[in-house]
Amino acid sequence: MALFGSLFCRIVLGLVIAFLFMPILIVLTVSFSSSAVFAFPPPGFSLRWYASLGNADSMLQAVWLSSQIAALSTAISLVLGTLCAIAITRGMIPGAKAVATFMASPLMLPGLVLGIAFLQAARDFGLRDTYTTLLIAHVVITMPFIMRTVLASLSLFDFAMVDAARMLGRSYPAALWTVLVPNILPGFVSGGLFAFIASFDNYPVSIFLVDVRTKTLPIQLLNQVEMSPDPTVAAISALLILGTIVALIVCDRLVGLKRMASI
Amino acid sequence: MSQHATAMPPATEMHQEPSYLAVSNVTKRFGAATVLDSLSLSVGRAEFVSLLGPSGCGKTTLLRLIAGLLAPDQGAIEVGGRDLTRVAAHKRNIGVVFQNYALFPHLTVAENIAYGLRAKGVPKAEQAKKVGDALGLVRMEAFADRAVTALSGGQQQRIAVARAVVVEPSLLLLDEPFSALDRKLRETMQIELRHILRNLGITSIFVTHDQDEALVMSDRIAVMNEGRIEHLGTPSEVYARPKSLYTMEFVGQSSRMGGVVKGSSEGLVEIDTPFGLVRAPGHFMSGSRVIVGVRPEAIAAGEGPAGEYNTVRGTVAEVIYFGSRTLLHFQTAQDGDRLHVELNRLPDQVAPGSAMTLRWRIDDSRVFPAPTETGR
Ligand SMILES: Nc1ncnc2c1ncn2[C@@H]1O[C@H](COP(=O)(O)OP(=O)(O)OP(=O)(O)O)[C@@H](O)[C@H]1O
Ligand SMILES: [Mg+2]
Repeated sequence: MALFGSLFCRIVLGLVIAFLFMPILIVLTVSFSSSAVFAFPPPGFSLRWYASLGNADSMLQAVWLSSQIAALSTAISLVLGTLCAIAITRGMIPGAKAVATFMASPLMLPGLVLGIAFLQAARDFGLRDTYTTLLIAHVVITMPFIMRTVLASLSLFDFAMVDAARMLGRSYPAALWTVLVPNILPGFVSGGLFAFIASFDNYPVSIFLVDVRTKTLPIQLLNQVEMSPDPTVAAISALLILGTIVALIVCDRLVGLKRMASI
Repeated sequence: MSQHATAMPPATEMHQEPSYLAVSNVTKRFGAATVLDSLSLSVGRAEFVSLLGPSGCGKTTLLRLIAGLLAPDQGAIEVGGRDLTRVAAHKRNIGVVFQNYALFPHLTVAENIAYGLRAKGVPKAEQAKKVGDALGLVRMEAFADRAVTALSGGQQQRIAVARAVVVEPSLLLLDEPFSALDRKLRETMQIELRHILRNLGITSIFVTHDQDEALVMSDRIAVMNEGRIEHLGTPSEVYARPKSLYTMEFVGQSSRMGGVVKGSSEGLVEIDTPFGLVRAPGHFMSGSRVIVGVRPEAIAAGEGPAGEYNTVRGTVAEVIYFGSRTLLHFQTAQDGDRLHVELNRLPDQVAPGSAMTLRWRIDDSRVFPAPTETGR
């Protein structure tokens, strides 16, 4: 009976994993297709869609823009979010709990609502620049991910270490940098990774803020699928998967995925 | 306990020295709560002073104020003649050993010790030498390249001390450094730490709520209560001649009996207690309500010459046998009274219910105003 139960569990597990991996496998396969339409299984093998990426200017621009926005918003959220998390954990501000919940709230609102709100707010403040508007919106989108992991890391961090560093001759900022940062690095890396991904593939908020010349990758991809649904999008997706794998390997080398996952 | 205390160097010399650390009228409030109330403390160079008091009396707060990790609401803090009240913590050159050591887990033992040297810009070669010396001082040479997380509590403690003293601080603050160690290790470390600090000649303030620890280690003890210093004195002064009932009861065991002053002459007061008339050195008005305190080991069995001794009779309530000594609890008739007697040899046939005659020297009796009278 126990043997049967264990076998059953294994089969279910296998099915779930297969289900999760199926889309990735399909995209990868299609990206090497020789056909000009999105056909599965592909009629033949070719690298033409990867080669065609070189000419897909608007697509590459979108990749570049999304990377910039994701990297910058993640970096800004890391700095601001960490400082804010320190203030919350150390009880430096009144209503720390409420502030923590507020900072995490964008995660609980539908993206559409946020997008409309940002559009309206940008108009009201006279903010014309699409890039800046996008960046500010993405800081708000990424903030909850940073807050969550950094707050969790800080709850395990002994702030007496910062005091010790100060008593040994480091100013408060230098003490944070040399003692707090290295010790909560796993939190930074996993929070940063989630934040980057959240920004990179955000659609519902960005759609309200982009203009014709400034389009983020998810929006450009969807446009492309609507207009000329060829496997170029599959090739881009395959490269994104590759990029994610590389990022995970780097993170693993840096802090270990186990430590990241435990936060 | 008192044996250790008398082995300490005479503290009277240190009293006369100009104070090295001067805490003057420092007040600290957290919201509505006044945690330190116009507290003053002066400590001589190379002196080892313990702050002894119950949990929540403000010991850590005082230490953090001296360190500069907190700012006082009023008052001043000087070290070596320099006013530090407005100086940032990292510029004070004060070493701290924290309760849980606060070692840096991302650095090795040697890197932990070198941290302060690096912060101060000491050249690499000199750093290595100083780290080596500091490791030698705490006998941890073999552990230089270990991770601090792989050390035992006692070893971490040593590294924390090495890290704090390697930068040659002008003052060393220790906040209950032994509280995480088991009893045996704690006793070894007390003696070792005292030895190291004495050899370095470093002025140290040591926080503890363990009275034995304070008696064993200190040149002087500051007994704290609710944000004030009740008594600052050598261990033997604090133990044998406590200035307040609070100090008497907090440091060591004590017997106490309430009574009313009948009269006084030649610096002695005569007090009417439930145990009979008792005399003690002091000055009180006739009719004042007072409490007489005596150390249990100052009380002996049997009568003594009336000129020098108080003699009372009591009925044994409980016999507690410790091997080398025996503690007798006597029956009392009045709330708050306590007659405990510590004897090295138990007289024959003492059991609960037996009546005994007890004596102690008049000089060993302390009289304090009864708490209700002072409004405490
Ligand atoms: N940051 C703070 N905010 C508010 N109250 C505080 C703060 N720090 C300390 N207190 C209060 O001040 C009082 C003294 O605290 P402190 O830590 O100095 O006590 P302590 O003598 O070191 O006690 P313990 O032996 O338990 O360590 C306590 O009542 C504590 O609640
Ligand atoms: Mg404390």
